[in-house]
Parts: sequence; C-alpha cells; structure tokens
Amino acid sequence: MLQRLHGALEQISRYAVWCGGAALLAAAVMVTVDVLLRKFFSITMSGSDEISGYVFAAGTTWAYSYCLLHRSNVRIDALYSFLPAPMKAVLDIVGVTLLLGYMALLTDKAIVTFVTSWENGSVSISTLAVPLWIPQLFWVAGLILFIVTLTFVAVYALLSLVTGNLAQVQRVAGVPSMEEGIAEETHGMGIQTRSGGA
Amino acid sequence: MAFWSIVIMLVLVLGAVPVAAVLGVLSLSLDQLYMDGRLSLALGEFVWDKSKEFILVAVPMFILLGEIMLRAGIAQKMYAAVIQWLSWLPGGLMHANIGSSTIFAATSGSSVATAATVGTVAYPEIEKRGYNERLFLGSLAAGGTLGILIPPSINLIIYGLITDTSVPELYLAGIFPGVILAGLFMAVIIVACIARPNWGGQKVETSWGRRLRTLPDLLPPLLLFLVVVGSIYAGIATPTEAASVGVVFACLLAAWTRTLSISMLKAAFEGTMRTTAMIMLIILAAVFLNFILGFIGIAQVIIQAIADMGLTPLETMLIIIGFYLILGMFMETLSMMLTTVPIVFPIIAHLGYDPVWFGIMITVLMETALITPPIGVNLYVVHGIRPTGKFNDVAIGAGPFVAAMLGMIILLLALPDLALWLPGQFY
Repeated sequence: MLQRLHGALEQISRYAVWCGGAALLAAAVMVTVDVLLRKFFSITMSGSDEISGYVFAAGTTWAYSYCLLHRSNVRIDALYSFLPAPMKAVLDIVGVTLLLGYMALLTDKAIVTFVTSWENGSVSISTLAVPLWIPQLFWVAGLILFIVTLTFVAVYALLSLVTGNLAQVQRVAGVPSMEEGIAEETHGMGIQTRSGGA
Repeated sequence: MAFWSIVIMLVLVLGAVPVAAVLGVLSLSLDQLYMDGRLSLALGEFVWDKSKEFILVAVPMFILLGEIMLRAGIAQKMYAAVIQWLSWLPGGLMHANIGSSTIFAATSGSSVATAATVGTVAYPEIEKRGYNERLFLGSLAAGGTLGILIPPSINLIIYGLITDTSVPELYLAGIFPGVILAGLFMAVIIVACIARPNWGGQKVETSWGRRLRTLPDLLPPLLLFLVVVGSIYAGIATPTEAASVGVVFACLLAAWTRTLSISMLKAAFEGTMRTTAMIMLIILAAVFLNFILGFIGIAQVIIQAIADMGLTPLETMLIIIGFYLILGMFMETLSMMLTTVPIVFPIIAHLGYDPVWFGIMITVLMETALITPPIGVNLYVVHGIRPTGKFNDVAIGAGPFVAAMLGMIILLLALPDLALWLPGQFY
C-alpha cells in the first residue's frame, strides 16, 4: 500500500518535472525571440523576462517533490556516514521532519501571499499587468505537493523504522551513496558508472 | 548571538539535516530569538519576490544548456580533435584531457558533468596506450573542476546573487585564471612526464592534415561559447538572456547531430529540474538567512571580533583561505559556498578586497575542494567511471594538481589583476 503510494507520488512528481522543464524550454525560446527581435529589428517585445520569472518560480516548486523522492537534497554526511544504521535512520527522519517544519511555515505564508493577491486583485507593476494570483497559484500548488510528499516520506520512513526495516528507511529518506548520487547526476548520458547509471 | 547561531548550525549540519532545512531552521530561530518572529511574517512575499527574479532564471537555463550539450554527443569527436592538437606534448593524451575539459567547461557550468563526460571518453585510453593510471585519472578529476571557473559557471551566478556582484564581470574575471590554471595543470603533466618518461604512454599519430580536418568537430562548443559569452560581453544580452539563447542554440546543435528527441529532452528536463530544485531550495533559505543576519547585525559582530585580533588584511585573507582548504576536504562545494559566503563576504568587503576578485578566489578554492579527499566529488566521479581499482589511486593522482591550484591561489594573491584586468577593460 505505502509502496504503491510511493510509486504514485514518484510518477506524479516526474510529470510535474517534465511540465516544468518543457515550460522552461518554452521560456528560453520566448526570450531568444525577444533578444533577436530587439537586436536585429529593434522591436521590443516586453514581458518575456517577467513571464520566464513566473515559469521559473512555479517550475522550481513543482520539482521539489521529485528532488526529495530522488533523495537529492544536499546533506552533509561527514559524520553521518560513520554512524551505525539505526542512528542513521533516526537522523533521516529528524532531517525530513525539520525540512517539513520549515517548508510548512513557508507554504503557510505563501498561501497568505496568494490569498492576499486574490482578494486585493493585485497586478504586477509592468506593461503586462499580470494578475499575480495566476502565477502564484501554480507556485503554491508546487509547494503543497511538496508538503504532501514530505509528510508521506516522513510517515513512511517512521513506519519503516518502527517495523525495523532499516534498509527501507535508507531507500526512502537516506543519503544516497556517492555512486548512487553520481548515477543520478549522469542519468541518460550514456555514461556507465560502477553502479550502473546508464 | 554569533555563538548560538554557530552552535545551532553545527549540530544540525553534523546531524546530516538537509542544508536547506539547516538554513531555514536557523533563520526562523534567530528571528524568534532576536526579532520576536516579526521577519518571518514576510517570508511568503520575500520568497515569492526572490523566486521569480529574472537574474536567477539564468541558473536553470545554464543547467538545461549543459544537460542538452551533454546528450548531444559532441564530446567524443571533440576529444579526438583535441588529441590531434595537444598530444605531441610530453604526457600525450593527458593534455587532451585538460584541453577537452577546458573547452567543455566553456559550454557547461558544472564540474561533475565536465569530469564525467571527458572521463568516460578518455578512460579506455589508459590501458590501450600504457599511461600511468594515477596521473591520468588525476588529470581528469582536475580538468573537470575548470567547469565552475570558466564561464558559463553556475557557482559564479550564485556567488553574484548572494553578494550583489555583477555576474558579467565575474564571467570576464574567470577567463584568464581559468586558462592559466589549465596551463598550470599541463605544466604539472609535462614536468612529471619529463621526470618519468614511461608515465607518458605511447605517441599518437598526428599530422597537420589531420589537425585541420578535425577543426569542424571543435566548432560546436566554440560557437556556443561565442554565442553565450560573446553576447553578454557585447552588451547584447543579460546573462539570463544569453543562457536562454544558448539553450535554443544547443537544441539546434542536438538536432544537427541527430540526438534531439523527446526521450532525450525528458532526461534533460529531469536532470535540470532536479538540480534546480536542489539548488533553489538552498538559495532561497540562504537569501532569507542573509536578510535576517543583516537585520540582527551579525556581520558587524564578527568584523569587530576580527578587528580586535589586530590582524592585517593579508593575514585575515590567509586564514580564510586556510579555512576553506580544510573545510573543502569535508564539505560539498555548493553548500559550503552558500553557508559560508553570507558570513565571510562582509569581512572581505570590510577589509577592502574586491568582490569580483574574491569571487574568483573562492571559486578556485571550491575547485580545490572538488579534488581533495576524503570528500572530493570529482574524485568520486572519476573513480565511478572505472570498472575496478582503488579510490586512493585517483586521490593520489590528483595530488600534483592540488599543488597547481595552490600555485594559482598564490598567483591570485600576488597579482589580483589576473582576474581584474579583463573586467576593468569593459566596466
């Protein structure tokens, strides 16, 4: 059950990342057209910088869950790596819980920002005059997905610890080994590392 | 105040709490302790404003650009071309390792990607041509570090962001030190291979005809460099715009080499967004911490403490360099930069050092951190490429290159103009 949920969240976060990446590529094309028009035809198409800023803000929060599920959050393991497995598991859970605490506060304030923009009908100070609640809605949605994922990972890891399944805590919330980390970084590059990252 | 923040930070860092949460929890607790939690009320607005900042859009763009170039399959041909041009030197292909890394660094902002790409292409040659394995591996790990010094560099963007330093100036400042450092690496190889000729491997057949025929293979990365870096310097585009143009250009190159496909883009998106999320989560927390530290005036406390010690600026700088060299053995570079620069930078600025110069200095220190054991990411990258062998081989092989980096640090201290002359011509 939990395993299936984990898989489902992984799938959702992967789609979110594809959307974010595609939007970023679209923003790159838009900015390029803007630069070319400005340089060669002296036409200024204002707003591409503003829109790509929104795409970036929302795309980033949409990618947080993927980053978490792939255990890519930076953690300093100088001491951690020498500890016995049970202590590592406890630290894994403390770490994800503290991240959840900080992100929950941030998300709470982000929702306030979004609701305020909605209620006041705030628009951006630019020629586009974008109603701010629109980009902020996407931004907040990513944060909420992240909170759901963080909560799930914390609960899953805790249940695994309680049932004595330390290996599972490591798989869900641990620090990946150096080989696993590099395989992740070189994913899809056709580079064969020892851990088999293709 | 400074004492407690350091204690909280150390406990959390040693407890392997995610760095973003360390900074976040530290900010929130400092705010509670000294400002009654008033600053946290603005957290939503603050993070939103920073999240959509156009200059920051350069970060994911440069990552995406690098991801696409990596998958466009230009590395193999480029390496073969560089062999033709550089392998006559004593040390043969090891110079091609440094040369390819330098060129690749000019299209990529990441050291790990540079080392992994060049390493994968170069590794099989060790046995084929009888090179000294350790030195060869060391040249790969060290060459890869040039990725963060030679523009476009992700680290320099982030440094520019947290210290309010101009990114185009930093990019200009990175070029000469990057090329000089590559030169120092090659000098290390030449000296080693003159002392021990059997380390140098078999000669590669080269001729001017072949050299000229390989030129088209060097064209894609050079063109990309010209498009991206050139348009920044010519004042046509901001760094973010240049990065966006670079992304489009990289897609065209990938289409030309017939490597552009939906599945390739998906893999590039996954890599890009994963790294972006990882970096941004930390950056946003670091910027917020910076904001809080500014309010409670922690920098002044530290500056006063240093002034009380009665050190000269140079002595202080040497202590800071020593601190980074030691810390770099144990910490991953990006988080090291993000956690220390907000505290170290005000000291540097107070002592009268140039922010652009210090950006280059700290980047060279980060490069050193990448190849000093026990935690040197590039050492692990190169080690990971080999099917067998000991980690120590890579670490020992990188030793002479660490010496070259220390030489570079001394050069920068003695001749700050190595970094500052070029930006001075433009600004």
